[in-house]
Amino acid sequence: MIRGGRSYVSSPPAFSNDAKRLLVCTANTVSIFSTSTALQISSMEGHTAPVTTVIVVPASSPANNILCYCWTASLDGTIRYWDFSVPELLKTINIKIPIYSMVIPSLLGLPADSNEKQPNLFAYVSLKDTRETISKKHKSKSEIPIGQICKCNLTESRLVGGVTLAETKVSEPITISSSGKYLGITKHQRLSIWKVPDTETERVVLRKITLHHTKRMTVHAFHPIQRIVAAGDSTGRILIWRGFGDKTFASGEGLVGGKIMSNDEDKPGVRDNDDVDSCTTWHWHSSEVNVLFFSSDGAYLYSGGKEGVLVVWQLNTGRKKFLPRIGSPLLYYTVSPDPSLSSISCADNQIHLLKMPSLEILKSISGIKFSCSLLEEYEGFGSGVAFDNSSALVALRTDKYCVQFYSLFDDRGISEVKRECRLSERARSPLLLVQVCERNHQPGDDVTVVVTLVALSQDGSMMSTVEVKLAEEGIGGLVCLKFWASESQNKKFTLSTIIYEPHRDACISAVAFHPTRRAAVSSSYGGDFKVWVCNDELEQKDVMLQSSGWTCHAVGSYKKKAITAAAFSADGSTLAIAAETVITLWDPDKNVLVAVIGESLTPIVMLSFVGNSEYLVAASWGSKPQLSVWTMSKLSVYWSYMLRVEAVACAADLSSFAALALFPKSSKCQESIGTTFQGRDGVILLFNATDPVPVSTWSARKAKGGALSFLQVGHSSIEENISGGKPPQTLLAYMNSDHEYVLFDPYGEEIHELNVIPQKDLVDPEERRQFGYASIYGELPEFDLKRDQMSWVPSVPSEKPWETIFSGSSHNLPPLTKLCSAFLESLLEKRTAVVE
Amino acid sequence: MAEDLQLQSYVGKSFPIKPKLKPKAKTLSQTPESKYWTSFKPHQIPNLVSSIQSLDFSPNPPHLFAAAHSTSLTLFSSKTFTQHSVINSFKDVVTCSSFRSDGSLLAASDVSGLVQVFDVKTRTPLRRLRSHARPVRFVKYPFLDKLHLVSGGDDGVVKYWDVAGESVLSNLLGHKDYVRCGDCSPVNSEVFVTGSYDHTVKLWDVRVENSKSVMEVNHGKPIEDVMFLPSGGLLATAGGNSVKIWDLIGGGKMVYSMENHNKTVTSICTGRVGKEGGDEAMQYRILSVALDGYMKVFNFGKMKVTHSMRFPAPLMSVEFSPDCMTRVVGSSNGIIFAGRTKKKENEEPVVGNFWSLGRVEENRKPTLRPSYYRYFQRGQSEKPKEWDYVVARPKKVKLGEHDKLLKKFRHKEALVSVLNGKNPENVVAVMEELVPRRKLLKCVSNLDNEELGLLLGFMQKYSTAPRYSGLLMGLMKKVLETRAEDIKSSDALKGHIRNLKRSIEEEIRIQQYLQEIQGIISPLLRIAGRGI
Repeated sequence: MIRGGRSYVSSPPAFSNDAKRLLVCTANTVSIFSTSTALQISSMEGHTAPVTTVIVVPASSPANNILCYCWTASLDGTIRYWDFSVPELLKTINIKIPIYSMVIPSLLGLPADSNEKQPNLFAYVSLKDTRETISKKHKSKSEIPIGQICKCNLTESRLVGGVTLAETKVSEPITISSSGKYLGITKHQRLSIWKVPDTETERVVLRKITLHHTKRMTVHAFHPIQRIVAAGDSTGRILIWRGFGDKTFASGEGLVGGKIMSNDEDKPGVRDNDDVDSCTTWHWHSSEVNVLFFSSDGAYLYSGGKEGVLVVWQLNTGRKKFLPRIGSPLLYYTVSPDPSLSSISCADNQIHLLKMPSLEILKSISGIKFSCSLLEEYEGFGSGVAFDNSSALVALRTDKYCVQFYSLFDDRGISEVKRECRLSERARSPLLLVQVCERNHQPGDDVTVVVTLVALSQDGSMMSTVEVKLAEEGIGGLVCLKFWASESQNKKFTLSTIIYEPHRDACISAVAFHPTRRAAVSSSYGGDFKVWVCNDELEQKDVMLQSSGWTCHAVGSYKKKAITAAAFSADGSTLAIAAETVITLWDPDKNVLVAVIGESLTPIVMLSFVGNSEYLVAASWGSKPQLSVWTMSKLSVYWSYMLRVEAVACAADLSSFAALALFPKSSKCQESIGTTFQGRDGVILLFNATDPVPVSTWSARKAKGGALSFLQVGHSSIEENISGGKPPQTLLAYMNSDHEYVLFDPYGEEIHELNVIPQKDLVDPEERRQFGYASIYGELPEFDLKRDQMSWVPSVPSEKPWETIFSGSSHNLPPLTKLCSAFLESLLEKRTAVVE
Repeated sequence: MAEDLQLQSYVGKSFPIKPKLKPKAKTLSQTPESKYWTSFKPHQIPNLVSSIQSLDFSPNPPHLFAAAHSTSLTLFSSKTFTQHSVINSFKDVVTCSSFRSDGSLLAASDVSGLVQVFDVKTRTPLRRLRSHARPVRFVKYPFLDKLHLVSGGDDGVVKYWDVAGESVLSNLLGHKDYVRCGDCSPVNSEVFVTGSYDHTVKLWDVRVENSKSVMEVNHGKPIEDVMFLPSGGLLATAGGNSVKIWDLIGGGKMVYSMENHNKTVTSICTGRVGKEGGDEAMQYRILSVALDGYMKVFNFGKMKVTHSMRFPAPLMSVEFSPDCMTRVVGSSNGIIFAGRTKKKENEEPVVGNFWSLGRVEENRKPTLRPSYYRYFQRGQSEKPKEWDYVVARPKKVKLGEHDKLLKKFRHKEALVSVLNGKNPENVVAVMEELVPRRKLLKCVSNLDNEELGLLLGFMQKYSTAPRYSGLLMGLMKKVLETRAEDIKSSDALKGHIRNLKRSIEEEIRIQQYLQEIQGIISPLLRIAGRGI
């Protein structure tokens, strides 16, 4: 079983101390990427729910850079301590409450003297409290605060009882200043800041101030040196409070410099008599600010939001510099210990590594694209996922007018043996994007140009896409059908033909390729279907061979009914067209209606021939959903179920098919399902076409909008992963609505647990470059007083040197000349008096 | 690595907006040959008195040409098409003219039956040859013969003249009707042909004693023009709607009959195509003009019409200059449609000379030293060799003004700037780009009166064009709804609306006609289909 397709941007990533690795939270695991190659090196597995925080233990001195320890927190209610160089789990703390965010202030503070006894390590965690006890206190249901900020003693592995810093309606992420002195959360229109006490004990009281604003604040950041806090709000404003907490926090610090606030007139822009000197507002972003970060020297402020533009503000002057057209909303900004490297996480599941002062994108770690948000009226188009069965690629539509090709096997490293040849593929496959229409990223609120359909030919060499430009108040809508061809080797698709308004202004319901020839059929809700033929096949004898293009070969319609689905049979001799509720069979060459078979109750949305057999599967949605199997020999229905089917997949040469069915929505069922299936809303059924009893079933999560496909397994790719036993001929791929996928053998008695060997370090030694001081002068020698003392010990003269001179390890011995004289001297009888 | 680059190129890349693609024609719209013929830059010489009976080029550079019209013969420069000189010493309508092979003398005939020989430079008549009783329609100097003339006229007699003595050497009898045309063999100075309204072309040889024709071919129609093809073995005749090619060596056999004209072919001449010394050596073509206003180019090697051009008047005469630079066509209403092409062949010999000189210089070329300015420029204009690995500089995306404005989200300015730009494709492309941004209607409502006038003017011009009407019709409705107040208050805008209304009405009328035609045709098609 192979899983993959996880989100890389669910939580902020973290750099290792040497800035050569990036730790990314990917669902239940933490994946470790090399920053020089942007490839995955290894992963830490153990959590049973999505990981929300990863904190790398910082090195106290440059020599300790190679230390690789980190803390992770997860929604499964555990905090774990890892050595991520191996990777190995060292410690697990179970606090049984989902953790949304965690900070550990004492890691960031000045390193304590190592001789002292380690104080308790405290973490502050943002919890999602689901305990029943809370609801007793609060009578009205809406008032229940779900989020809680608590303190956790990591050394003793327990929550500190009774210390609850704040209760919020939703769990808020905690932010910490880079010195570890302050931590804060935003609560709607308020920003709460606590000062972390210098010496942490369990019962110490944290002092707190609250800053107010009139808009909902989304993000905030602390200045690394001065007491400045910046916050971004939902309207795109950035507020900068200078000198916060002068009154409240000052008394403990004692270095305020006597400038304690005298009167309120001196506080420009400050609201509600908050404890700050001044507040300034910058406004450039047009929508909410998601990213806010101070540079390590505190001179610059980075901000970003939905526009996909990283803005660098000069803190003193407010001057701006931009990194425009990143292409999707920014989510997180992370700095590394290496001052020339940082990363931004984007909403399209990409992490860009930036070269710092120049803001240049060095590498990109890109995951599978998320399913794009579609408007209501275009939701009926299915999942927009097409599988290339032979090479295990999946083509996904994305909301950046692109189609992404993702290799299902290569999401993870599969084998060591084949790495060399697979490496290139892996480097290729997640990166391959096809820009369907050349448009710039528009940070608008709604999607107006949508790639609605993607279809691949059986050999994967041809692709067709349908894009729809939505009309503005009835003007300027456009449907566009495009055919693409790929060069045989590198799967790079080039545009072959554009057809504007292929079915006038009607939307296209389905596109299917002919299994053997270069032909395709497109069907529209406008009531007709067209057979397209690639041109160069027709005119090969012509001397002036033109560049290949697709032309319309035939147009057909059935009683002017909307055509809702189309499919070719396995040998391409028959074309099945669903005209609303009727299935019609056509000869694609002569465009002649061959037969009309039965009616379903509601319009058919999917048609598929079952392999080479005489059976045809049809699925219809609507009020009376149906999954039905028809036989071609009798032209009648064979068997059917009342099931809402989301996807159907047929193996090419077998007489079985798989269907992804959703559970019905009626409330009674919902309750019973809710208890038994734990959030699973769909089921994958494997049928033999001749038999209405499913061969096997699996339940699935997030099945609505999911996709299914059989994959042909080449011997090279997976053979060696199965220890003993015969490798499966076909795998079934299931991709859920979040584009997480799983591949498994549908015919195995038990689900094979494929040996997934974690990849070893892909970083080669020469990439371990040095930076900063070390790059110029080399590593500083460790200055260690103790060793000097140790080495000095044997040479101290004593009364009985032979007892001491050979003590200690051999390399600590003084030079032989020195030893020899002392030794010989000790053997000689000493005359106490001078002989006269 | 390359994928990385590719990926990065998506980040920070900006695409200029592009108009919708147009479907490409399956066949090439222009063959190389028709490209050649259309490369003649058209030039009209208007205001000549009546139809251009004949045109003739001087064989000598700068290739003056003589146009016979009414009672005068005008010489034009073939480079600038300006009038060079006029010969007016005719009593009646001039019918034909011919330059002598050295270009210094010019013979011209007129309807009074007189043939005159002029000095081209002084324009004085040197000899008057009077023997024809009826109008003379054809006069010609034999090939490389400076002393004799051939003429033919409505009396049906072809005369061979001794020019110096102003005497007829032989009267060639045989034609039963008007002799209208003739040509002298390009290989022999004693052989010539004449064509007559008795449908025959006769080949004469003055060396034959009994003054009978050597050969005779029957065209089938009154012959308007006859011509030897450059080899001298083939003959082309024009009469009626057809041009026929005859093989003289093979005994007067018809080779091909070209019947592409709709009306009487009035004149033919030889033209040349292709480059000298190129892979395609000079090829000869027959240019024919007819009363239907078409000039056709006929490739008699492949027996195919390779180009066809339409002129707005019945055409009477055509001629192609010996240097292949100029083509002149005379029409019946006194206009000469001239055309001149730019040629590189003119420079080629010059370049050749330089090249030979250049080689000498190359040997003497001083070596570059750091004290020379050119030393620092050396190698800058070097072209990459075939095997060189070229590190290409990333192509800079060229952005138009509207693209730049769109990038800054200044939508209205972008629309106005593109409306000023006069390229309808770009205007529609910007509008199409504004639609997904949901800003088109906002732009429309923000336009001030002057800019609205611009938009309405554009609409009036293009809203009925089928390529744009899908978008523009809908937009126009919205514009009229939202800006009704402004339009009412401004007279200029009202004028635009009136024009718009007119063009819409016209379009509706056209559509009605088309529907009527469809109504007529579709039953016919149905019947035809049933018949099968």
